[in-house]
Amino acid sequence: MPEYNIVVLGSGGVGKSCLTAQFVQNVWIESYDPTIEDSYRKTIDVDGRQVVLEILDTAGTEQFTAMRELYMKTGQGFLLVFSITSLSSLAELSDLRDQIIRIKDDPRVPIVLVGNKSDLEDERAVSRTRAFQVSQNWGNAPYYETSARRRANVDEVFRDLCRQILRKDMELNATRYSGSGGPGYGLRASGGRTVGGANGMGRRQKDWYHDGYGNSSQGLRRRAHRKRDQRCTIL
Amino acid sequence: MSAASSIKLSRSPSIRSNAQISPPPTPKRSRELLPTPPLQPEKEPTFHNYLRAFHHFHPSSTVTSAGDESSITVPINLGDVILVHSVHPNGWADGTLLASGSRGWLPTNYCEPYDHPSIRALLNALTQLWDLVRSAEEENVISLSRPDYVRAMIAGVRIFLDKSNCLNRESPLIQSDVALRRLRKGLLGDLSSFVKISKKLQTVLQRECTNAEASEVLDQLVLKGSKVVIRAVRFLDVRSQDVPILQPEFDFGDLDLHQDGARLPTPPIDSETHLDRVEEPNGDTPGALPQPYDGIAVVQQPLDPAAHPAGIDQQVLCSSAASQSPSDASFRPNNRPTSISRPLSQVFSAKRSSVAHRLSYISRTSTIRRQNLASERLGAAHDLFLGFIGSFIGLHLQSRSSTELLSITEQSVKACRQLLLVVEEVWERDGRRSPSLGLAREFMHMKLIELVQATKDMFAQTTSGEEVFMPDQGKQLVTAATSCVRAAGDCVAKTRAVIERIGDFEFERPGEGLSDAIFGALSPDTTAGVQQCAVAEAPPLLEKPLPMPPQPKSRPPPPPPIQGLESKPLPQPPAESLSLEPIPQPSLVESSEAVSSLGSRSSIPPLSQLPTPHFSPSEFSPDSTSASPDLSSSKLFAKSARSESLNTSGGETNSTYPSSIQGDAASIISQTSTRATSPDRNVHQNEDGRMLSSFGSLSEIQSAASDDLVEAQILETTYAHELIYSKDGQIAGGSLPALVEKLTTHDSTPDAMFVTTFYLTFRLFTNPMDFVHALIDRFDYIGNSQDIGLPVRLRVYNVFKGWLESHWQSETDSAALGVIIAFATGKLHSALPAAGRRLGGLASKVTEVHAGALVPRHVSSLGKTSTSVTVFSAVDNQIPNPITSKTQLNALRNSKNGGPPCSILDFDPMELARQFTIIESRIFCAIGPEELLASEWTKKQDSKAVNVRAMSTLSTDLANLVADTILQPEEPKKRAVILKQWVKIAQKCLDLNNYDSLMAIICSLNSSMVLRLKRTWDLVSLKTKTRLEELKTIVDVGRNYAVLRQRLQNHVAPCIPFVGIYLTDLTFVDVGNQTTRQLPSDGSGRAETSVINFDKHMKTAKIIGQLQRFQVPYRLAAVPEMQDWMETQIQRVRNSDQSNVQSYYRRSLLLEPREVPQVNPHPTASKHSATGSVSSTSMKENKDKFDLFGSLHLNLSSSSKEKLSN
Repeated sequence: MPEYNIVVLGSGGVGKSCLTAQFVQNVWIESYDPTIEDSYRKTIDVDGRQVVLEILDTAGTEQFTAMRELYMKTGQGFLLVFSITSLSSLAELSDLRDQIIRIKDDPRVPIVLVGNKSDLEDERAVSRTRAFQVSQNWGNAPYYETSARRRANVDEVFRDLCRQILRKDMELNATRYSGSGGPGYGLRASGGRTVGGANGMGRRQKDWYHDGYGNSSQGLRRRAHRKRDQRCTIL
Repeated sequence: MSAASSIKLSRSPSIRSNAQISPPPTPKRSRELLPTPPLQPEKEPTFHNYLRAFHHFHPSSTVTSAGDESSITVPINLGDVILVHSVHPNGWADGTLLASGSRGWLPTNYCEPYDHPSIRALLNALTQLWDLVRSAEEENVISLSRPDYVRAMIAGVRIFLDKSNCLNRESPLIQSDVALRRLRKGLLGDLSSFVKISKKLQTVLQRECTNAEASEVLDQLVLKGSKVVIRAVRFLDVRSQDVPILQPEFDFGDLDLHQDGARLPTPPIDSETHLDRVEEPNGDTPGALPQPYDGIAVVQQPLDPAAHPAGIDQQVLCSSAASQSPSDASFRPNNRPTSISRPLSQVFSAKRSSVAHRLSYISRTSTIRRQNLASERLGAAHDLFLGFIGSFIGLHLQSRSSTELLSITEQSVKACRQLLLVVEEVWERDGRRSPSLGLAREFMHMKLIELVQATKDMFAQTTSGEEVFMPDQGKQLVTAATSCVRAAGDCVAKTRAVIERIGDFEFERPGEGLSDAIFGALSPDTTAGVQQCAVAEAPPLLEKPLPMPPQPKSRPPPPPPIQGLESKPLPQPPAESLSLEPIPQPSLVESSEAVSSLGSRSSIPPLSQLPTPHFSPSEFSPDSTSASPDLSSSKLFAKSARSESLNTSGGETNSTYPSSIQGDAASIISQTSTRATSPDRNVHQNEDGRMLSSFGSLSEIQSAASDDLVEAQILETTYAHELIYSKDGQIAGGSLPALVEKLTTHDSTPDAMFVTTFYLTFRLFTNPMDFVHALIDRFDYIGNSQDIGLPVRLRVYNVFKGWLESHWQSETDSAALGVIIAFATGKLHSALPAAGRRLGGLASKVTEVHAGALVPRHVSSLGKTSTSVTVFSAVDNQIPNPITSKTQLNALRNSKNGGPPCSILDFDPMELARQFTIIESRIFCAIGPEELLASEWTKKQDSKAVNVRAMSTLSTDLANLVADTILQPEEPKKRAVILKQWVKIAQKCLDLNNYDSLMAIICSLNSSMVLRLKRTWDLVSLKTKTRLEELKTIVDVGRNYAVLRQRLQNHVAPCIPFVGIYLTDLTFVDVGNQTTRQLPSDGSGRAETSVINFDKHMKTAKIIGQLQRFQVPYRLAAVPEMQDWMETQIQRVRNSDQSNVQSYYRRSLLLEPREVPQVNPHPTASKHSATGSVSSTSMKENKDKFDLFGSLHLNLSSSSKEKLSN
């Protein structure tokens, strides 16, 4: 069974620990002990494949900024969590993402952007469009809104992330000696939109260029593509 | 642990201990001769934990053996109270007779649900005890070592007596009624011996004795507990007869109590119609319940109470109430037949196609968990549904292709239907067809249709399947899906409530049946008729062979055999003419055969997996009659009957029995008098006397003293029934008064962990004011009695004292100070003057001390900490001398005064580690427990967790200092030297058990800015690298810090653990555990009571305790000069812009620039080659914030500089 490390990041108070706790706990569990070795392990089914996930959630140690890199190093996929009730919590994620990409040395590192506390619609401070925009700018990372409290979409964010990791694994094997745009990169449709992969995994192939921030118009994108073609190489 | 082996416990100790020993030591068969008390007419089909026989059932044989399957049917007698474990759809129930402890199948149509508001708490306490003992079989004896279950029983009795208005010995009812008085006495006697047995168990468990010994005591315990309940049942019977005036106080809830006052119990008629219904769903199974054959005869003679067995029984008891004529006294509770037939027929008219289990029976024992239980299935289906609907919503929040959308919609709908099907199944089974659940289900169904419609609409708008939907288009869909989720949540909650009410049951189909097969072929469009589909699916469920048909089903017990008369002459019951069933004698023989046939069976699979309950051989002692409970216990019954007669009639011998009322009871008496086996034989001598004494009049003489104690105890107000215990017997939850009571028990010192947890966390679940009031209430209601009141009051005082001395937090607690002072000078002073003065003094002192506690404290026991200190000081008796030279100290002083700066290379790594450890230890030891509660340290403003925050800041600073020092020199060689020095320091930190600093240093050495310095690392020796790798594994975050946790376990102090672990643990304990728990439902269908989830706080306190265990100062000599210098360095790093990870990174790039852009402007090839290298040279983001382009020139120049310098 493949085993992957998933790191959950986000500033304090966005409810990321709640998200993790909901995910690793069974629904009817009476009492949760986070101090044992497999407190954060869970086997999930991703499109028929059994995958073991080990979740590293740094909740409570946000102030140990020096540790962050250590956490990030272990991760193969990242959940970046903010609260839809706090705009600053979304803004803080950008730095984290930069750090991840720098540490993983890979702009295509599997990331899912998660807007938590979707049950607090009344207190929403981050519009869907805005969050979606951010996710688009992050190389078209998927964006989900979750409610850890109501256990809405919780499993799905982890599953999506897992799909990305699995696909990346496959691509890595497939593109050992091919240049950019080699097999396994998926088909790019017009306008930057792509169609779901042939393998039917519920996530569409992404573009993986990084063109900085707020650079989302089609024209820029195309240019970015060209640039990407020149320099994007994936190990 | 199999169900069967737990049966052992409750049934018979015999085999386990000694083959010679026979039936349960105390098969106190207090036969219920009494007419049942008026019952609350049951309107809902419910899974009843307790049944009561209203008619005899004596099968010809207690064992039916077909093939290799054996089943035990237990004979039941009128009035027997039965604890039910599961009910088979054919109407047979697997139950334990309280009177004898015998377990087996019995026909539910001979029984009525037994419940009464007043006795409910007691019944629940017994159920808990039973389950606890079962889990004790699973190596979990620890849970029994605490006397909490005893308190639950006492509380149960107390509530029972209280609700019966008989709590006080002086109550008019007790004073006026001699029978009740004696019964009450007997009840308390039983309770007292129950308490004694529990104490014996305590000592037995402490002695580490043999299993057999412990099991024997456990058996006694369960039997005695049952005994208490039986006594209470009888009390209730008599009381409801004798006290017509008080009847309205009982919430009978139905008028036919009075209307049917003159009706005789006529169960058989009802049971016949009900039989038909039972058979309906199982048309192909021949299983029919035994028919109470004499039913019609009884009906025919309704006006002759004396002639009917029930009438006889009633008369026996009524004989005490001399003033009452049989006709009005004995028939008061005659609403019974109606209350019997109604609920039972309802239960069975409900679609019941599989075994229903007592919920606690399943859930308490994980090993018996089965996939197919309704509760499990419901949970699984709900999870699945949420999973799919979650991705459905998720998909619509992004843009997705229509094919994906289609498939996910399909899956969501399927999952939704599946959930509906489970709900349907439960609903079907619920005889009451819970309207609210019905509504919720309909609503959910409707929402599903809406959702499907919305999806369809959307597809209709688009032309091709390859269209992509924008998120906003899906808005409508998302709304539909969200409401679907909400409806499902509601529906699931209601379904769970129903399951709780009707009992958990197993689905007929094997696991995959519901999930895949049913809706596999359906397309998402065919939503119409989810319900029909479910209904259509239902019949096959029934056609399938039942998974566990109990033997009796296929072999309906024949009418009671007459042959018993030949084998053993019995006194002819006077009611013979009414075709009363003779006592089934042969059962004894047959059951022993069964024993031998089962002889080789050592372990028995769980009940549910068997067609019938199997009993391991140990349940039957070869020489015993225990297999046939009515026989084995008959002697005791005789005793109890005798004593009962003493109690009730005031007569002296059996001869006072009117011959006409002897009935089957009398026959048993005479029969047992000839029996050689004494059920009490195997009981310890002293125990024997006690047990006997607990019966009737004997107890009055022999155990008067202990009765008084129990008497006093029973008068206590108690909240013990509001406590919840975890599987290992710890307090898991409770209301505030119950927790306060636990804090101040009279008979045992409160558990240290419980007390510290309470002090530490009570502000999280209550406030100081309420706590004070709860304590004062406790002080008030407990009274001033010598045995109980005084000890409790002293404990209340002690709780106050401990609070003020060691756990006072003036900021939050001072609000309660006034009340405490008033209490100290008022009530406490008048009751306990010295204590009052002392508390008053403390209260005034506490106002003076603003910071810190009067007496230092630790959550963990101080003993542990002090021992570890001794260990430490024994090894290291002397404080090590600082490794510093004069020159070094001078250099330090000079640098402080503007001289040349010092470098970490100037000092010994050990001394640097020591001094830094001292600095860090100072902060660590200052961390107060309150800083660690309620995520205080994460608060962005006004956080009170100053020391926790200081810790994290210091860690970060240290990590930055490491990076700073390494990145300072321009030459790789110098960097390598500094790097090596830091590895050494890290090693010394480990030697000093300073894991926090170790973590910080390792983090920094492993950070990308240091790690990427390839040229530097090339100059680091292999030895250093290896050492670094070793250190890395210690602080590895993998597997939830498994390595580090392992080391910290049982670590000696002083030690500075990595605080982050505790912070994360505390965070997850907080979010991962609910704040409240539900008290176990009392089956009344009332709203559940939420109590404090104390388990959560225990976990919190445990973690804090672990941290505090290490809060011991190091025995190291400080070198102020060096500390000064270090602080300066840290301050410098903190203040500089450099303390920004990105600027360090930039600097790192400056020092050793990325090779790629220079060497290969078209990096494709080189990047492949760089794979796996530690300092990966490729950086694909050229336009990022790090301003690489800007620094490129510098890179070039610096690298060329390097080349030059090399």
